[in-house]
Amino acid sequence: MEKLTVDTLRTLAKAQGLELSDGELAALLPLVEAGRNGLAAIRDIPLETEPASQFRIF
Amino acid sequence: MTELRRMIASKQVSPVEVVRAHLDRIAALDGKLKSFITVLADAALAAARAAEAAVISGGTLGPLHGVPVGLKDLYCTKGVRTTGGSKILADWVPEEDATVVARLVGAGAIVLGKLNMHEFAYGPEGLNPHYGTPWNPWDAKTHRVCGGSSSGSGASVAAGICPGALGSDTGGSIRIPSSLCGLSGIKPTYGRVSRAGVLPLAWSMDHVGPMCRSAADCALMLAPMAGYDPRDPTTSVLPVADYAAALTGQLKGLRVGILRSFFLEGAAPAQRAAVEAAAKALAGQGASIEDVDLKTVNLAPAASHAVLAPEAYAYHEEWLKTRASEYGADVRERLRVGAFVSGAEYVKGQRLRTLLKNEVDAVLAKLDVLLAPTTPIEAPAVGQNEVRIGGQSLPVRASLIRFTRPFNLTGHPAASVPCGFTAEGLPMGLQIVGRPFDEATVLRVADAYQRVTDWHTRRPVAAA
Repeated sequence: MEKLTVDTLRTLAKAQGLELSDGELAALLPLVEAGRNGLAAIRDIPLETEPASQFRIF
Repeated sequence: MTELRRMIASKQVSPVEVVRAHLDRIAALDGKLKSFITVLADAALAAARAAEAAVISGGTLGPLHGVPVGLKDLYCTKGVRTTGGSKILADWVPEEDATVVARLVGAGAIVLGKLNMHEFAYGPEGLNPHYGTPWNPWDAKTHRVCGGSSSGSGASVAAGICPGALGSDTGGSIRIPSSLCGLSGIKPTYGRVSRAGVLPLAWSMDHVGPMCRSAADCALMLAPMAGYDPRDPTTSVLPVADYAAALTGQLKGLRVGILRSFFLEGAAPAQRAAVEAAAKALAGQGASIEDVDLKTVNLAPAASHAVLAPEAYAYHEEWLKTRASEYGADVRERLRVGAFVSGAEYVKGQRLRTLLKNEVDAVLAKLDVLLAPTTPIEAPAVGQNEVRIGGQSLPVRASLIRFTRPFNLTGHPAASVPCGFTAEGLPMGLQIVGRPFDEATVLRVADAYQRVTDWHTRRPVAAA
């Protein structure tokens, strides 16, 4: 997985409608990276595992 | 609360006297403690006079008749501002009560006011830049955190300003302040108590519950709160147990698992010793104890990040775009992280929850409850960012939520009760986790433990 930079984070933020300063982006970067890396490291979820939140019509 | 209710019903004390005494304590102590955001003195006294009249007239009295309570300031209160601990909602006045508020008032409780909290419930320390950070009553000299996000609930009950309070728990926000402030608190099963009219942090992880001085008080307060609510489609139609009747003091034959790796082995020595001693106390009452490990618990931080962050962001998105400067710096930054979690990552987090929940269910198929420290550390000082555990330097924030967060993901009921004090005189908490919708057993174990220990009866310096 490609490492995020302040520039890529800025692009992602803008796409969401968030205008963040360089300082704000720099502060966010390690938090976002840590979250992504933590999730990416988990690769062995059994295929049949359904999400805990499910739609119920009744 | 239990004793107060009995004394009110038997006319030994008037609800007006009780409310006045608590308002006097708020006036005397809360300048330093900062546990309240809004005190409802006039309304509380008016309700107390009505409660007194009902006692005198011999009418039917509710289970909480005349007992004062505090509400974390994320519970909507009709006609009374509900800030969420924020500047953004500083002047917001809801038009309806949250379901649990209406139910507590219907049971006779008198609302003393709205309690301080970590802004929008997004932090386990209980800090607040807008209304002041509550002071942990167990240390008169050093400003220590109460734990959060229900920090005002923790400070007020510990200091005797409120007999009981509502907290809410998305990553541990009932159990962490209960642990750090020497209280008993229970996060019920997800779906046991309505979230209608409660400002959300993360809809699928938010739990509502009481924080009191004892497990018996928690049972008393939880009973009227629990049950199906058409305003909250996630509430269960399963019948509510008689929690008070469950407090038998009997543990013979109870099967208890003590969570060792990750939990006990990840705690500071004092917390580890206190939980080991608590397990021995339960064994002394007839419970069998065995070691248990949860293999999937290491998934909890990633799963929590994937689910909580985007749910919180979704709620705050518009304000983050238009009123970002009105958030405290820590919460603003934490909320923004949620913008960068993809849909696929969110679903992955929900699938990890399934794995964790299935494992906890499997373990609890053979055991009645699980024990763990509630927090690996005692209350840190305000501004302290790191803590040393087992020779390692760890972030305070991650440490505080490490043992509680897994059960927000799984939805299992979990309580925290005091289980000792550190050498510095700071309280430590024992976490008791039960099967889904089996709050009765969790409370029975907590109450039985409190029948043979006195940790929950101790009072901090500020409450003397």
